[in-house]
Amino acid sequence: MDDTAFLKIQGLRKSYEYVDALRGVDLTLARGDFLCLFGPNGAGKTTLIKIVADLLKPTSGTVEITGGPDLDSDIRSRIGLISHQTLLYDELTARENLQFYSSIYQIPDPDDKIDSLLHTVGLYNRREERVSTFSRGMQQRLSIARALINDPVLLLLDEPYSGLDQFAATVLSNHLKKLHAQHRTIIMVTHNLTRGLETADRIGILSEGRLVYLKDRDEIDLPSFEDHYLMHMETN
Amino acid sequence: MGATLVILRKDLLIEIRRKDSVISMIFFGILLLFVMNMAIGIGRKVDPELAAGILWISILFSSVLGLGRTFSLEKTNRCIDGLLVSPVAPSSVFVAKNLVNLSFMLISEAVIIPVFFALYGDNITVRLAPLLATVLLLNFGFSSVGTLFSGITAATSRNEVLLPLLLFPVITPLIAFTVKATGEIFAGVPFGEYSSWLRLMAAFGLIFSCAGYLLFDYVMKEN
Repeated sequence: MDDTAFLKIQGLRKSYEYVDALRGVDLTLARGDFLCLFGPNGAGKTTLIKIVADLLKPTSGTVEITGGPDLDSDIRSRIGLISHQTLLYDELTARENLQFYSSIYQIPDPDDKIDSLLHTVGLYNRREERVSTFSRGMQQRLSIARALINDPVLLLLDEPYSGLDQFAATVLSNHLKKLHAQHRTIIMVTHNLTRGLETADRIGILSEGRLVYLKDRDEIDLPSFEDHYLMHMETN
Repeated sequence: MGATLVILRKDLLIEIRRKDSVISMIFFGILLLFVMNMAIGIGRKVDPELAAGILWISILFSSVLGLGRTFSLEKTNRCIDGLLVSPVAPSSVFVAKNLVNLSFMLISEAVIIPVFFALYGDNITVRLAPLLATVLLLNFGFSSVGTLFSGITAATSRNEVLLPLLLFPVITPLIAFTVKATGEIFAGVPFGEYSSWLRLMAAFGLIFSCAGYLLFDYVMKEN
């Protein structure tokens, strides 16, 4: 692994019984990169996120994540995951959910951090209410707070804008920009071109299990990118 | 151990709020006792071996209800992904879920066993210490196997059907040891004559608790 790489994916393949979800993905990210991956349904985006998060074993290939000298040796404890599922317990209150996750991440004296995150996502006044009483948008906002409880250096987002109202989507975009400015490494997969292009600094397209496009955002001519993306949507 | 206690506390808190697992276990267990009591004949004395079979049928069938729900909690909203992404070892999840199942079984047995004695206790010698040892050893073995298979079947869409199909063939030896030991306890036989059954039950529990602890990493992650 070269010195500047934070995350290196080599030859990643994932095959299910009848489908090849990933067909040899190679990707290197430096620390602080924010990669947004677009792609049609079934392109392998969620599979890629799950493998990087160590939720799924690849058929072949490797994913290496290095913390670097100034980070904890256990980099896995500094990964945050936001997906279209909230990963929250319906019968617990907003605060209890965050307390649970702060306990399993062994965060010392988490109360101030929990309060601050609840303020950030606009749920402080409803902190003692059960998640089952929340709307989909509120649950997703709480899920953002949950993913940030361990101060992640690598944030994985799988369709994070799905089901979000305008307020929650703006909270998420602002928070992602803030995390990016703090030099966190972020991988986001989404269908939302506007949000993705607005926040990320590297843009990729995954199509039929292959990374068919990868450029810095500064190099991209946005109208031609949209045409390029639509072409892959049609051929998939 | 910290993560185990955190997960255990969370699951018990959720059960206190939902109350569905333990209440359905107790209700189903008592229902089975009443149905068998009517089939045998209300007030008719039963011999100790048959009584032992009736007791464990009620407890084991009702306990399966609780097992199936242990992981359904984690499947909702994919909470299991939150645990797997975290630094919590899958073995800690196994220990926590095993303790949750043991707690649910103990609570339901605290209600089912007195009802059993009220219905079938006429011809039975009540010796509390050996019966308690048998209950604890059965719970330990059943919960260890059950937690392991509950984790395996949680990833499937029909886990409530699949779980008993996988579970009961594997725990058949444990059921046999338990029924033999309990029958002899109810008959008032000296401890030395049934202690070998208790040792076999302990061995069964130890083997499957170790297997679950070691294999749970493979069980929890998708292939």
